[in-house]
Amino acid sequence: MIKHDVVIIGAGLAGMRAALEVCKDLDVAVLTKVYPSRSHSGAAQGGIAAALGNSEPDSWEEHMFDTVKGGDFLSDQDAVEEYVRAAPRIIYELEHMGCIFSRTPDGKIAQRKFGGHSKPRACFCADRTGHAILHALHEQLMKNAKTVKIYNEWYMHSLVVDDGQCNGVVVSNIQDGSVEVIHAKSVIFCTGGYGRVYKITSNAFASTADGVMAALDAGIPLQDPEFVQFHPSGLYRQGILFSEAARGEGGYLLNGAGERFMEKYAPSRMELAPRDIVSRAEQSEMDAGRGVNGEGYIYLDLRHLGEARIMERLPQIRQLGIDFIGVDCIKDPLPIQPTAHYSMGGIPTDKFGQVTIKDTNTPVKGFFAAGECACVSVHGGNRLGTNSLLEAVVFGERAGKSAYEYAKNADFATVNEAQEKTRILEKFEDIFQRDGTESYNDIRNEMKEVMMSHCGVFRDKQRLEICIKTLKGLQERFKKGKVTDKGKVFNSELYEILELGNMLRMAEIIATGALNRKESRGGHYRTDFPKRDDVNFLKHTLMYKTDEGLEIKYSPVVITKHQPAERTY
Amino acid sequence: MATFKIKRFNPEKQPEPYMEDFEYDVPDGATLLDCMNTIKWTMDGSLTYRMSCRSAICGSCAVKANGHAVLACQRQAEHLYDENETIKLEPLGNMKPIKDLVVDFTPFWDKIDKVKPYLETSSKPPEKERTQSPEEFRLIDDTSTCIMCGACYSDCHVLEVDDNFLGPAALAKAQRFVSDSRDEATLERVKNLSEYGGIWDCTHCGECVERCPKPARPFYRIKEIMTVALEKGVHNNDGARHALAFTSSVKHSGRLNENFLPLLSKGIFNIKGLLELVPIGIRMLLKGKIPPIFHKSVEDVDDIKRIFKKLNQ
Amino acid sequence: MKFALFTGCVSKGATRELMASTTKAAEGLGIDFVEMKAAACCGAGVISEQNPMLADALNARTFAIAEKQGLDIVTICSTCQGVLKKSECNIKGDAEYQKKINHLLQEGGHQYDGTTKIKHFSNILASDEGKALLKEKITRPLTGLKAAAFYGCYVLRPSELSEYDDPDNPTEMEDLFELMGATPVYYPSRIKCCGFPIVMMNKKASLEMAGNALVDAVESGADCVVTGCPLCHLNLDSYQPEIEKMISKKYSIPILHLPQLVALSLGYSPKELLMDKHIVSTRIFQKMFPSS
Repeated sequence: MIKHDVVIIGAGLAGMRAALEVCKDLDVAVLTKVYPSRSHSGAAQGGIAAALGNSEPDSWEEHMFDTVKGGDFLSDQDAVEEYVRAAPRIIYELEHMGCIFSRTPDGKIAQRKFGGHSKPRACFCADRTGHAILHALHEQLMKNAKTVKIYNEWYMHSLVVDDGQCNGVVVSNIQDGSVEVIHAKSVIFCTGGYGRVYKITSNAFASTADGVMAALDAGIPLQDPEFVQFHPSGLYRQGILFSEAARGEGGYLLNGAGERFMEKYAPSRMELAPRDIVSRAEQSEMDAGRGVNGEGYIYLDLRHLGEARIMERLPQIRQLGIDFIGVDCIKDPLPIQPTAHYSMGGIPTDKFGQVTIKDTNTPVKGFFAAGECACVSVHGGNRLGTNSLLEAVVFGERAGKSAYEYAKNADFATVNEAQEKTRILEKFEDIFQRDGTESYNDIRNEMKEVMMSHCGVFRDKQRLEICIKTLKGLQERFKKGKVTDKGKVFNSELYEILELGNMLRMAEIIATGALNRKESRGGHYRTDFPKRDDVNFLKHTLMYKTDEGLEIKYSPVVITKHQPAERTY
Repeated sequence: MATFKIKRFNPEKQPEPYMEDFEYDVPDGATLLDCMNTIKWTMDGSLTYRMSCRSAICGSCAVKANGHAVLACQRQAEHLYDENETIKLEPLGNMKPIKDLVVDFTPFWDKIDKVKPYLETSSKPPEKERTQSPEEFRLIDDTSTCIMCGACYSDCHVLEVDDNFLGPAALAKAQRFVSDSRDEATLERVKNLSEYGGIWDCTHCGECVERCPKPARPFYRIKEIMTVALEKGVHNNDGARHALAFTSSVKHSGRLNENFLPLLSKGIFNIKGLLELVPIGIRMLLKGKIPPIFHKSVEDVDDIKRIFKKLNQ
Repeated sequence: MKFALFTGCVSKGATRELMASTTKAAEGLGIDFVEMKAAACCGAGVISEQNPMLADALNARTFAIAEKQGLDIVTICSTCQGVLKKSECNIKGDAEYQKKINHLLQEGGHQYDGTTKIKHFSNILASDEGKALLKEKITRPLTGLKAAAFYGCYVLRPSELSEYDDPDNPTEMEDLFELMGATPVYYPSRIKCCGFPIVMMNKKASLEMAGNALVDAVESGADCVVTGCPLCHLNLDSYQPEIEKMISKKYSIPILHLPQLVALSLGYSPKELLMDKHIVSTRIFQKMFPSS
């Protein structure tokens, strides 16, 4: 029987920051299906936002307004306020821990412009900010190795919830196939997003909705799942991220006619409008036949920035262009297209990281969440760039604190270990015994295709209905997939199948949420309901799993300082 | 039609590894990782390897292709073919295979841990950020790009024969702190790194620089630590003495005094060390290979001395 | 073919057979080598451990001397070759740095403009002109000799500084062996490290590396190992008795410098090439190729 006071699932920025908060005098375990330094947080490039005012005078009030407006007024403003107010302290603490930042000539943390932010407040480390923070936190975890146990390459299958209280998780060791139950007083999910349901995505292969599905299965609704962000500058055909920082440094977006088309869509902010607006602009241009060579891509032109600036500020993405598409952005423009990037939705939490069933205001005792897998919601309908790294660290700390407080005063509950383990072992066996007439690869590709074309940047009723129908068909075919590897040792095929199962269900949830939200707001755009509808839809979607299928409830948006207004840039 | 010769290993099936071939028409622009995925997802689901980001930042997918470590997602398959349009895939070296191309990274992480890879400060931090100039940032810029992929560790020639060596990744990580202007433990760090298994055990083969998929280039980082160690007076070891004696020799005559160098490297009072040199000394003497005792300077040696002086050496 | 010859330190001391055979090989081929008598030691990558700028400045001075003579530089040591190329790269890649370096050289009357080329003797021989010369001047094909090349790390890695076509799979030396009538032996260790740089600091590891290379060469059928680096030669030849003790095997495989092999094919005798000065006996050559 494995017992820890607190167990954290996910070792990215949120997970590791939470661990540091708890480890001072509680027994903490961090579980990751990869290694901490492999977490997808490391792929973030552009920066982490805070109103430090190192480049231009700035204030948390401006950061708050930018975030709320960027979220198309779906953000819970009480949470946003605390989150942006905490930002400067969070950044300084990271720096004190040793995090490396690019600097101004007088030695302060440098800040650059970013989409949707009215001031340059993105603190960065060249174009590998996520990587810098990830490694800084990992270093701290190594420093605290005596008090934090890391379970590397362990997979989380399900949450153990009894009577509204979370008592642990059921996990398996990928390296040897053993299934275990971890008893815990507090469980924190920091499991990231689910962009892999889409064909073109910036997300790692590991971003597969495992955490959110475990929460759903435990009776917790998912909040705002229809809000998926498409990042404007994904590498054409591959989806690999080219940071918004490229535009922050002054890059242009050009259509097939060589025009800076953003003038039509966001004349004031141009390329630095929020991501949903830019992605829609790109998609509109391509749909109208104005893509480069009439094809499905746009040019990101950095040539005018010059070699020195690119080598200093954007060296990594320059190398990505060379390695993955043979284009050197110093000499030639980069071909880009919208790529599924961030999941605004997720496990509903309050502003302290406490998982809460919001339509009944019921906290799920002992269960916390932070980072991309959680929905507080600070990002509302659309996340501004550099706000996610901030979210992970701010709410990682908060969820850690909440989990710590809870665990300090709680006892271990009894868990029917045998029953929990058996359930998972039976799941494995069921997969191994399947019919074998279907190809998981085909099912996965079809899911990604239909989500991209029918639940992507532009959505409508007809396509969404087709999407849901297709997904349901795929879920049936999934039950007959062919397995080759039935072993115990490092059976990566088995885990890919489990992940696919989660993704098929998540995809259906996204599409269902999109079908039900008959308005356009932030990253969710309905061509049949192109306007924002504050009368009927200024509320959060809560998607439940019931025996009858998916059921939607709602919860209100907290509005404090900023009444919803027209969102133009 | 490209061929992938993959070294398979499944401890549940048989104790020995074996080679297996896969063939298919690789589309243009496919990376090695794309090929591995195609094989796994359409030909043999049991092919096992690590991968995640596919954009050269997470460091999961390092493997040996045709004998040299590469990051599978970063390299186009067609650039890796040998003359028979074949790629031989093996797990990373210097680490124990667990299954197929997955290896046990435990010793790798243990060594990272050994170099105390976190900022050490005793002074209280300021209210805001500690300042650091752009020049100081540049000293740790390259090493901080390391993604811990293990490619350098895999191909390190010293690790092949001496497992005690910390290895290129750990030493590059150490440099990130040795050269960080905010770290306050520099002297202690370079002292520890100058011990057996540290910087002076690097054989300069350049393999780690060649295999590093990022600008981290461990060997050059190791040299940077050496410079700091020598500056800080950590001289009581063979490697430091060797460097100092070498430089001093060139300062005096513009070239190497090969007779003095081994003696000074070991330390002229280091009887045990000097005794180690006796066998080779005798062999060289018997074959007339001892360099002339009377050591000549190069022509125009004064100009060389002038340069030394100008650089405060 | 006329070049500035950068001899390196060891070729005139502990491995003086290298200088002797280089002179003979050049004589036999009709290559004019102008010895760089005022050049400083390249630093061997060791001076740069203490003071990188000092190492670059000393090498820039060497380059400047060759430039003044209007000659390209040829090295006979892989380590010198790699170290010089690194200094060249450091200086030419940074205009500010080049200015600083030239400022240091100024008083001595030198200036480095970045025009002189730096190549290893094997690169010269492997060029079209070199190969043609070799073909013309060979008088004694080394038929029956199975030769294993040992390149030396510094001349292969990092690849952007290497003058070889494919540093991960070089064939230049083996092609030369074939040209000279010998049979090249390919084996994995030919591109690995001999361990010399750490023979003072970690002798066991150093000799194990050299030992692995020797075993690999022998088991691949080689009669001898031919190297382009006198430091590799020291580890492979001068330490061979200690290696044999370590691995409890007696191979006694002779180690040759590349110019020795070349000069043999040009008709010179082993004795003229100071092949009796090796630690490991080169008697098989006395037998195969007696004095002309």
